[in-house]
Order: sequence, then structure tokens, then C-alpha cells
Amino acid sequence: MIELYIGGYAQGKLEYVKRLHPGQEERIKNHFHLWIRGLLEEGKDPEAETEKLLKENPDAIIISDEIGNGIVPMDAAEREYRERLGRLLIRIASEAGRVERIICGIGQRIK
Amino acid sequence: MLIVVIGGSGSGKSAYAEELLAGMGEKRYYLATMRPDGEESRRRIKRHRDMRRGKGFFTIEQPRRIAGALAKMDAPEESSVLLECLSNLAANEMFSDEDGEACSEEALTAEICGGLWTLAQGVKNLVVVTNNVFEDGIRYEEETMKYLRVLAGVNRRLTERADFVVEVVAGIPVVLRRKEGEEILPREWEEERKCRL
Repeated sequence: MIELYIGGYAQGKLEYVKRLHPGQEERIKNHFHLWIRGLLEEGKDPEAETEKLLKENPDAIIISDEIGNGIVPMDAAEREYRERLGRLLIRIASEAGRVERIICGIGQRIK
Repeated sequence: MLIVVIGGSGSGKSAYAEELLAGMGEKRYYLATMRPDGEESRRRIKRHRDMRRGKGFFTIEQPRRIAGALAKMDAPEESSVLLECLSNLAANEMFSDEDGEACSEEALTAEICGGLWTLAQGVKNLVVVTNNVFEDGIRYEEETMKYLRVLAGVNRRLTERADFVVEVVAGIPVVLRRKEGEEILPREWEEERKCRL
């Protein structure tokens, strides 16, 4: 089962996930947002890569920063990154059996 | 009924708000606030238009003075209205001309809220989409900070009066407030929405 954990920068997401799933580090895909950013910078297709990730890792625990809650950036590439990552998180959440948002190290299950 | 939907960029808040409206009767209006200046805005507008296609909305362009939209509706008192979105409306009121920029925060907040109350009272259902733009930790120049305070003030006053306030996170609705003692939406119906989105 896919699981998704999202939240702001440095909110204790990884620690929370490790506590919840001891000994299952190999399932964890941390820093999903940075992976997407890298793919965009390399001119690759983050949507296709994400589908591949979901298909090949049906047990993945995906951790991502939430980056959409700010003023719309002046830079077009930054706007593109926010928008694309947001849509991809919606896509992952729709597949996931469990979605939590983490704030101050506390998880709130929303799905 | 007044409903507020808040979310970040790419959170799925618009799709959720449209789903809400789709369950609210026959007469549906979409109040569009974005001005089509530049290629990217035109692309965004097109994306939203494509999303609304087939959902039976009549679109009214109302980038400022939001209560003015009432006069453009056939039977406002029977209509369900989606306002998208407050962050554009506030920016248009503040930055369209020198008057807006010269106005005090209090005056701007009161003016925008006044328009929203008039609109909310004139229609059957009003769903307002607003943007969570408050959490990037950046200290912007004073003009932008003023904009943030105005938008936040309008959001807070609006949610005080709202029957239902919901945040959309990664496409998932998270209820923030539901007015006590009132049946806003059947809970099962919300659950159903949750599954579909």
C-alpha cells in the first residue's frame, strides 16, 4: 500500500515515519519534492517518472515537503515547480491508502 | 449558505470547490477574477475553463467590486455561486490603480468584506475559494506584506461568518470549521466527495 506523508520544512516527517514503521527504511522515499525538482531541472518528465515509481514500488512510503502555501513566485520555473509538485501529490494521494500531514512532529491522518 | 475553501498552489482546491457547486442545484455561476494579462494567465484561465466544461456554469468576469456580479445574474436569489479566487480579487482591488495602493489596510479589508457580504446575502449559496499564501517565511517588501495582511484579514472575517470552512490538502478535503447545530452538508456526502477526489 502506498503511503504519503507531507508537511512543511523540518517538521519531523522522516522521524515520524520511522517511528510509525520501525525497520522498514527500504520502503521510504524521502525528499520526493527534491527528486521532482531535479527531474524538472534535467528536462525530464516528472509525471511519467512518478507513475513509474508508483508502479514499481506499490509499497512505497513517500515523504514530501509541502511547498504550495506561499506567495506566487516571480520566477516562472519556481511557479512551474510548485504547480507540478502539487498536482503530483494529488495524484499520489489518490493512489495512497494512507495520507498524513505532519506539523511540529505531530501527524494528522487525512486519508 | 456560505462556504470557504482554502488551499495552496496545486492543492486541488478549485476542483473540490467545483464538485461542491455541482451538488447545489441548477443555477450555477462562476465569478472569475483573474485578468488575462500574459501567456501564463491565459493558460491558467484555459485550464480552469476546461475543468468547468460540462459542469453547467455560467461565467461572469468580475475582477473587482465583486457585488457588481449580482446585477449580471438572472435570478441571484436562486443561484449557487463560485468565486475564484479571493487572492486575485484582493490583488486587483489593491494594485489596479493608485487609489487601491493609497488605501489603508482597514479600508481595503472593509471594502472587500462589504462586497462579499452583499454578494453572500444576495445569492442562495456562495462558495469562496481562497489561497493559503502565508507560509513561505519570506519577508517581502512592505507592499506585499500589506497585501498578505489584507487577504488574511478578509479570510478571517469571512470564515467567522461561514457555515462551512474546508482546507484542501493534496486533493483531500480537511474540515476546519462547521457551524454548530446546523446541517450544512450531509456527512456521508462529504465522505463520498472524499472518495471521489
